[in-house]
Amino acid sequence: MGGTHKESDAGDSNNTSGEYASIALLEQIRRRGRVWRDLSAQYGVENPDPPWKVCLEGTCEALAVQACALPVLERRWAEDELSETLYQGVPFPERQLLALAHTMIERGLFGEDELARRIEKVGERLNSV
Amino acid sequence: MAKKSPGEHKAAPMVEEVSDFEILELAVRELAIEKGLFTADDHRHFTEFAHSIGPLPAARLVAKAWLDPKFKKLALEDGVTASKEVGIDWLNPTGFGTPSDYTDLRVLEDTPTVKHVVVCTLCSCYPRPILGHSPEWYRTPNYRRRIVRWPRQVLSEFGLQLPENVEIRVEDSNQKCRFMVMPMRPDGTEDWSEEELAAIVTRDCLIGVALPRPDRKQNAQRPVHKAIHPVQHDH
Repeated sequence: MGGTHKESDAGDSNNTSGEYASIALLEQIRRRGRVWRDLSAQYGVENPDPPWKVCLEGTCEALAVQACALPVLERRWAEDELSETLYQGVPFPERQLLALAHTMIERGLFGEDELARRIEKVGERLNSV
Repeated sequence: MAKKSPGEHKAAPMVEEVSDFEILELAVRELAIEKGLFTADDHRHFTEFAHSIGPLPAARLVAKAWLDPKFKKLALEDGVTASKEVGIDWLNPTGFGTPSDYTDLRVLEDTPTVKHVVVCTLCSCYPRPILGHSPEWYRTPNYRRRIVRWPRQVLSEFGLQLPENVEIRVEDSNQKCRFMVMPMRPDGTEDWSEEELAAIVTRDCLIGVALPRPDRKQNAQRPVHKAIHPVQHDH
């Protein structure tokens, strides 16, 4: 995603050491989740990107405006580091999503338990018939 | 092959299961809205913008410039004004207030002795309003680090072998300025229309890692190489 940034963003990063602790909830998704590359191949879908990718783009953009809950540079740097460590081997855009969720938890924008509860609710909704 | 009856429509295949990632995306978004980090309306605007962009306007700009010397001069002198002629309001691309600093767009003209290529070493700045979403490889630390140090080597990995007498200029995108490349018009395209020309100006040509060819209308698939040394943003 094309990032845009402000000079002041550079000093906002909470974690620039590259030492990220794994988050159990996201680790479980990393291990268990089926990535678009596999799903699209299985179902014969030609779209190279999952339908939710564009929504993820929207979330990343929206987080960087107005209240600026998560500056672009901080998000991108965390994504770089997480992509080469905890989420190494996860394809794009799944790793972008994991990195975003990880950064938001680490930044205190929401808690792991809170996200777990929301995932459960959303899962029930999306899987209801 | 079974004959289709008139009006019969076969739906495109769909993924028939909900993935954990799909659920995670929605959960993150809902929590963010609930906590007031942004509004649902903000999100809808950005998502619609993200849906609407692609590389076609930039390809049209190049094709138009190849055909019209006056427009070419304008494009090289004032990319922002030229982009309006291909339907992009660079200064207000989303139409609802931009999140970023789309203050300038520069079009870099390749010549027989100069080849331009674009990067964002800091993150992944990209001329999205006119070129759409950046490819995965453009975002990787591997590309971002190496293209500025060993451009000839990296371009050769993209299948672009340049003679030694061709100078390579790497433009680093920044807070104030985004770049796109205007490659040279290839031989064998004489008498082509703007539409035909635009079709061979692929995304990769506009970033500068490929050259337009009369027989190629798609970007090549690229392997994504992992950086040898893990990235450390310690500055």
